[in-house]
Amino acid sequence: MLIIIGVCIWGALLSPFAMAWTALAGVTGIATLGTARFMFPNVLVEPPSKFKIGPASDYPLNAVSNKWKDQFGVWIVHTDQYEGKDLIYALSTVCTHLGCTPSWLDGEQKFKCPCHGSGFYITGVNFEGPAPRPLERVGLRIAEDGMLEVDKSMKFQEEMGQWVDATSFVDGSLA
Amino acid sequence: MSVGDYIRGSQIWKSIFRHPAPVDRRNRVVVMLTNFFLHLHPVSIKQQGIALSYTWCMGGITFFLFLVETITGVLLMFYYRPTLQFAFNDILALRDVTTLGIMREIHRWAAHAMVITVWLHMYRVFLTGSYKPPREFNWVIGVLLLVLTLLLSFTGYLLPWDQLAIWAITVGSNMARATPFLGYEGPGAQLLNIGGFDLITNGSDARFLLLGGRFVGEATLNRFYILHCVAIPLVVALLIAIHFWRVRKDGGISQPL
Amino acid sequence: MLEHHPDLTASVIYGLGWLYLLLFLMNCAWVWRSYHQDGEVKLFGQGVPVASIWALYAAMLGMISTAHLTGSNNPQMFLLRMPDAFKSAVDSLSGPVSFFSLSVGLFVAVILLREWIVKPTVGWVLLNASLIFLALSMTDYDFRQIVGKPDNVPIVAMLFICAYFTWLSFACAVENDKRKAAGKPLYSQEKNDKILVWPDLVYSELICMVLVTALLVAWGIVLQAPLEEPASSAKTPNPSKAPWYFLGLQEMLVYYDPWMAGVVLPSMILVGLMAIPYIDFNKLGNGYYTFNERKFAISTFLFGFLPLWVAMIVLGTFLRGPNWNFFGPYEYWDVHKLELLNNVNISEWFWYKVMNTKMPVAPAGSDQATQIGYILLREWLGLVITVAYLAVLPPLMAVTVFRKFFVRMGFLRFMVLSNLILFMASLPIKMVLRWSFNLKYIVAIPEWFFNI
Repeated sequence: MLIIIGVCIWGALLSPFAMAWTALAGVTGIATLGTARFMFPNVLVEPPSKFKIGPASDYPLNAVSNKWKDQFGVWIVHTDQYEGKDLIYALSTVCTHLGCTPSWLDGEQKFKCPCHGSGFYITGVNFEGPAPRPLERVGLRIAEDGMLEVDKSMKFQEEMGQWVDATSFVDGSLA
Repeated sequence: MSVGDYIRGSQIWKSIFRHPAPVDRRNRVVVMLTNFFLHLHPVSIKQQGIALSYTWCMGGITFFLFLVETITGVLLMFYYRPTLQFAFNDILALRDVTTLGIMREIHRWAAHAMVITVWLHMYRVFLTGSYKPPREFNWVIGVLLLVLTLLLSFTGYLLPWDQLAIWAITVGSNMARATPFLGYEGPGAQLLNIGGFDLITNGSDARFLLLGGRFVGEATLNRFYILHCVAIPLVVALLIAIHFWRVRKDGGISQPL
Repeated sequence: MLEHHPDLTASVIYGLGWLYLLLFLMNCAWVWRSYHQDGEVKLFGQGVPVASIWALYAAMLGMISTAHLTGSNNPQMFLLRMPDAFKSAVDSLSGPVSFFSLSVGLFVAVILLREWIVKPTVGWVLLNASLIFLALSMTDYDFRQIVGKPDNVPIVAMLFICAYFTWLSFACAVENDKRKAAGKPLYSQEKNDKILVWPDLVYSELICMVLVTALLVAWGIVLQAPLEEPASSAKTPNPSKAPWYFLGLQEMLVYYDPWMAGVVLPSMILVGLMAIPYIDFNKLGNGYYTFNERKFAISTFLFGFLPLWVAMIVLGTFLRGPNWNFFGPYEYWDVHKLELLNNVNISEWFWYKVMNTKMPVAPAGSDQATQIGYILLREWLGLVITVAYLAVLPPLMAVTVFRKFFVRMGFLRFMVLSNLILFMASLPIKMVLRWSFNLKYIVAIPEWFFNI
């Protein structure tokens, strides 16, 4: 309301010439924004963000599953090393440095990124290289049919304290 | 009368070239003024202005390489389809199946060479102080052309759709994700939210705009193809025209005052 | 013993034969030039023409070339190769620190010794030395793998071209400076006749176009454009590199986070380049090569272009291998090479080492303002340093080292200049801090993606 009144007062103070220019500038600005919005697609041909990954018993303790890495870009990790709790969670395979895909090195028990050498523990926490923060978790829950379901539209960052969120993990004792 | 004289005396020839051959002083001046392609140049020039040790000829070579890129690029477009299904195989076929299979090689090497010659042209212009008044603004246009040259090369890098291509673009475009305010992992992006609703997400940030998706995929290939073949070359051509025009208007090639 | 990766093969020896033949022919021409231009030197009490020494060298090259072109049947027995002792010495001495120091050292040397370097004989010796070094290095398998990659060939060419043009510009600059000092007109002012563009310029352009086309066609036939496996978004190649002209930027990523190295610093480079004509108040040196009249401008630009751009590209292309680890020029790119990358932030150093306590962390469940307060408290030292760097240094520079500049430029121009210089200096500063103190971040606020 205040804005409209302000515009009216301002308009009254302007000469017709200045008003015409202002209107033109305004319309051009809106058209530019509209064109910019045009460049953002509304429909994406990308894999679904929610998908089932089988029962929790498929994922033994202290192992990293590469099964869904190629198709959906997540690791399923079952470990008791994060704060001593037995958890299953899904880690996004995107390196927090520049988005390369790290590899899980079973021998060295770490995720290692080939681009700039960042290293992450099995928990996803970074410990070497340029990565500024831990890998991100994505949503994981037990669906109605008892299967695990990943939801990639949700993400949880450790440094924001989001890993305590109940949708970021599943109790590992179910496995 | 020889055949040559007959041709040069014909109505067709005279309708194209409205003056005799440039063999004497007068006609050498006239040819520069009447020929569309030559009229970029002045009629006469100081001797040192074309000394190779002074100009290094790098600006001219850059322009020529741009023409080479345009011609080879158009030829490549006849065989290349920018889709996940065909892109890689079309590039392969351009090498192994097409006659004269070095078109892509020439395109790529000329692109590398163009990046180098742009740098050297800029280097020369700096070292001779040729950006100083009255040529300040032409230097700015030159910097824009440098950026566009790099962008042309960068967008072209993705088109072969091999491992080299997508990972170079993935690494490169991930930096857009970290753009302050406009990238969803950039400082300040969290401030841009309305009532708890984030304006900048991985589906609405600078990287998404660049890639046309959340990761380098088919939409990206199409986007980069259009940028590489149409959008950026058009802008470059316009800026080149301004750049050349201003060289003439700002007093020709630089020289000691 | 059968070598899987032989340092020398018949085709390498044959190729090097052509390189030495080219060098031999170049030096034959140089002998001819030297015979007409250089005088004599006293050797063993006798006057000997300098040309004869070059002739001796050229003859030696001719023989080496013949040996390569005819004696390639048993590569294992071939003697002319880079000595292993030299290779391992270079590998063990090389690292990001020594590489950067070397490039800065070279940059300083070129400027200080410019009057000596621009002598034709010195330039020729340097060119010969670098070509022979390249030829000998090609006898190493690992060196050849990297330098011989089709995409890397233009970078090698660029190095020689850049060096040549730097040399040429300094030659012109030194000549002009001497003329100015002697009160004579510039060389180019003497050559001031007006000539017609047709035929002189038009024909040189035509010849240039023909030569460039010929070069491109030959290049296209000899070297095939690289094409790797089809794209796969699941398999990241190791190392994965940006296009070669962006490798300087990728090298910055080692020291700065993407938002700095990938967005802020490149933008500053472009803004800085565009700002050059508006902040350079020096009216001298417009339209001719000179160094003495534009010492600051040329040194700064050369520093940005040579050690910070070209040398970084060389480092990123030739010396960065798997996991972006540093590898010497003759070193095998071992995927499992381990490098300790445990770096610390200033805040960690301050709270753990100096204060001997834990980092301040906001109590769980506290409101946003408290959390922000705790984060700022945690990082106060780095924030103070950063603010001081950008806010306190420019006025300090204005009253000390850049006092003359400040007076002549005025406030706005000076602020732009000083900030551009500070941003340019931030890269080498962070590099030195990383090497000497293992510093990771000056300000580390991953919560806001704000790491410096």
